[in-house]
Amino acid sequence: MQNKSDVSNLASFALNIAEKLTAKFAEIYFYLSDYLNIDIEENSIKNNEIGSDLGVGIRVINQKGSLGFAYTNRLERKSIEKMVKTAISMMRTGTEDPDFKDLPPKYEVYKTVNGLYDKDIKYLSIEDSILYAEDLIDICDKDDMAISQSGNFSSSYNKTFIFNSNGLSIDSKTTISSVSSHVIVKDKITNDTSFGFESQIERNLNCINGKNVIKTALKNAKRNLNRKKINSIKAPLILTPKGVISFILRPLASAINAETFQYKRSFLVDRRGEYLGPKFLNIEDNALIDGAVGSATFDGEGVPCKNKRVIEKGKFLKSGLLHNSYTAGKEGIESSGNAARDSYSSLPAIGITNMILQSGNSSKDEIIQNVKEGILLDYTGDRPNISTGDFSGLILQGNLIRKGEILDALNETMFGINLLDVFRNIEEISKESKTYGPFQAPFVKIADVQIIGSAS
Amino acid sequence: MEIADELKIYDDNLVKELSNLARNNIEYWDIRTTLNNGTVLNFTNQRSKEISSYETLECGIRTFINGGWGFCVLKKIDKSNIIDGFLKAIKLARKSQSLCKFKFNIKESNPLNKKFKINSIRNLESIDIQDKIEIVKNHEDISSKYSKEIKNTRTVYLDGYFKNLFLNSFGSHIYQDLEVLRLFSAVYAQRKGLIQNAMNSVGGVGGFEIMETEAAQNISLKSAKQAIMLLDAKSPVGGKFNVIMDPKLTGTFIHEAFGHACEADIVLNKESILEDKIGKTVAIEEVNIIDDPTIGQGKKFNLPYELYGSYNVDDEGIPSQKTVIIEDGILRNFLHNIETASRMSIEPNGHGRANSSVAIPQVRMGFTYLEPKDWKLEEMIEDTKSGVLCEDFQYGYTDTTTGNFQFKCKFSYKIENGEKKELMRDVSLSGMTLEVLKRITAIGDKSTFNYSDGICGKGGQGVRVCDGGPFIRIEDITVGGLN
Repeated sequence: MQNKSDVSNLASFALNIAEKLTAKFAEIYFYLSDYLNIDIEENSIKNNEIGSDLGVGIRVINQKGSLGFAYTNRLERKSIEKMVKTAISMMRTGTEDPDFKDLPPKYEVYKTVNGLYDKDIKYLSIEDSILYAEDLIDICDKDDMAISQSGNFSSSYNKTFIFNSNGLSIDSKTTISSVSSHVIVKDKITNDTSFGFESQIERNLNCINGKNVIKTALKNAKRNLNRKKINSIKAPLILTPKGVISFILRPLASAINAETFQYKRSFLVDRRGEYLGPKFLNIEDNALIDGAVGSATFDGEGVPCKNKRVIEKGKFLKSGLLHNSYTAGKEGIESSGNAARDSYSSLPAIGITNMILQSGNSSKDEIIQNVKEGILLDYTGDRPNISTGDFSGLILQGNLIRKGEILDALNETMFGINLLDVFRNIEEISKESKTYGPFQAPFVKIADVQIIGSAS
Repeated sequence: MEIADELKIYDDNLVKELSNLARNNIEYWDIRTTLNNGTVLNFTNQRSKEISSYETLECGIRTFINGGWGFCVLKKIDKSNIIDGFLKAIKLARKSQSLCKFKFNIKESNPLNKKFKINSIRNLESIDIQDKIEIVKNHEDISSKYSKEIKNTRTVYLDGYFKNLFLNSFGSHIYQDLEVLRLFSAVYAQRKGLIQNAMNSVGGVGGFEIMETEAAQNISLKSAKQAIMLLDAKSPVGGKFNVIMDPKLTGTFIHEAFGHACEADIVLNKESILEDKIGKTVAIEEVNIIDDPTIGQGKKFNLPYELYGSYNVDDEGIPSQKTVIIEDGILRNFLHNIETASRMSIEPNGHGRANSSVAIPQVRMGFTYLEPKDWKLEEMIEDTKSGVLCEDFQYGYTDTTTGNFQFKCKFSYKIENGEKKELMRDVSLSGMTLEVLKRITAIGDKSTFNYSDGICGKGGQGVRVCDGGPFIRIEDITVGGLN
């Protein structure tokens, strides 16, 4: 599938069959991924993997809005013909859907986003990849508290082609590379063990820094040793960037998904236009940042991507939802370019591009120094209930802060709060911020959180 | 049983050629090739959102020498691609081997030459798409009409039939013809600003007869009833309580908080609280924990199909078998794949599983459960002065390094003076696994035993599992709530 005209020919072949078989709308999506992966276990190289995934999916929709979908990774004409016919027979069994309006039109202009493809990743060899994995291993070996590490280095080169019956025809090539570390440390005096993790995802190979990743993982792990139980308190919660992503941004991404919204499964339903948080709270979903992991010129349906403000000066904007063409059509507006599709095997869902909680004015050290008694939260395995906003969960990686100092790691400590109160109680946002894949977040201080300790 | 045409490519000549290429270069190899077919039906608010069907052909080639593994996934499966991929995989393993610190050999096991077929009553391939759709539509109808407070319903039907060929350097040649099916029902109810949801699923290894069981037929009604019930539930108060767990929660606890720590790859990576505990007491004497993914257990539960977490052989060609993990409170065995078994010098016990032919097998559970004892549920409740009865789970997770776990329950009832009282929602339970196994104060009898099924994720791969047990009571569990 290296040749664009081959793909074009296959696409016309499939779209023609679909049209003949009474599909009013049809869209064909080709996806190729060449990848490599190096696994580290017990702080040693364990496995080297290379692979390739190539396939095609077709969705067909009839006059009444009934949709059929089929996919295959067999690209011979015979298999593609079978796939199209299957999709048509699926379409014929569906229910009508007046909310379906149209597939995206042919667009004249797409914005340019640079830095999404790096030829160093496309041509990366296993030998050179191993150097990145070895960075993780070396630093872990030299650390006298580290007892084990699992991790990996991976990279992929991806190509996408989309064609539809409205004449849309577009393609892209992108690269991605990532490194991650999950490290176990042991306190030799107390014999206590703990884990820490860190990861980095980039579009460009020269941004990958395995040494920083393992160093941060080690720091996180050590900060989490010798955990103590505490009494229940009502206190401020200081979220690290990782904490902000898992506790605020990921849930928000689900809550502003137009599909979730239209089904009234979001705690933010009926709150568009309201002030959710302080004036200094700004959140956006920006697809147009050069070199960013979530950036793209077009989405999973070929719609041009853009920058969308979600929360501006504390206000949840009326236009702050993430749409694909279906949910947008239902509301009679244009798609926001958030159709998400990570393979030929799925229909376009809705997803973020780069979700950013913008930095504030305080320094992170000052925020922590001014806390008399509070909690630093780096990671909870829990997630809020998106339909109610309720959260109650365990602090898996967190510490007590007293008199401005980060002290003991917390054991068996839970906390509970509703997400609306989280936004309302944001007191400070740090200048410093960090990017993890498609998310960017600073440190955030939330006042008055109920912490449930288990010290008796 | 006739092998699928697509898999006939692996004839004697090809296998001989691969063996020659492997000789003097690597110690072990296996090739897994699968022809996957399946259907996805997703209805929301009585409308079809997705009606789809797929066919894929996948192949993964794995190689090994002296502690180092190589893996190559092919995009196109023909003779020359297989040989080319095999050579690449050999290079990858040799590269791994030159860098890995832990040298070991894979212990040779007896070759297995066998064909397995799931004897379904209503073969999925023969069922018309219209019949599948009718069932889904009917469930949507039942749940959406149950109450005016139900605002949103979703029913998802997933089926798959797989024809899989496994070959390895020990001479194994295993062909499997499998069918799996899962039905999922979600209901959202709303009263003023309050939204509550309930989800249920039924799954199994077998054919369309799975849809005819009572559990499958009642699934939408059950979800609807539960969602409405939760509208009246109160938010819990946090603190420490005696907690009675129902079989689903017991199963989740056994699987999440304990089972993962028994996976030998986790143990070797020093991430397990059980690292040096074989032969030692880790629970009260009444505790027996088993993992048994063998085929043939469906009938124990009066089901016409096989349990969702069961399999004939694992993805390394090792037959599934019953493994005793804890016997009378003493830790007896870990779960192994061929690598961990070789390194710990024991026989593999059939837990090397992958979610597809293009993913590497890991150590995984199958059907993990706590054996019943002698308490009746009523006795357990009567015997509890103050506590919480928790039923069904939403999700759970565990830090295997420390054993700190957390589960979110679906329904929880206050217990006061031996009586079941008001319903609470979103109760979370947390504790330390090894402490909790010693604080069990009652284990239910056979009549209270049940199981549930689901997909368990590890290292980016989801595999079919079941877990279960009887009702159990544990003292002093931390309960988290919003207040």
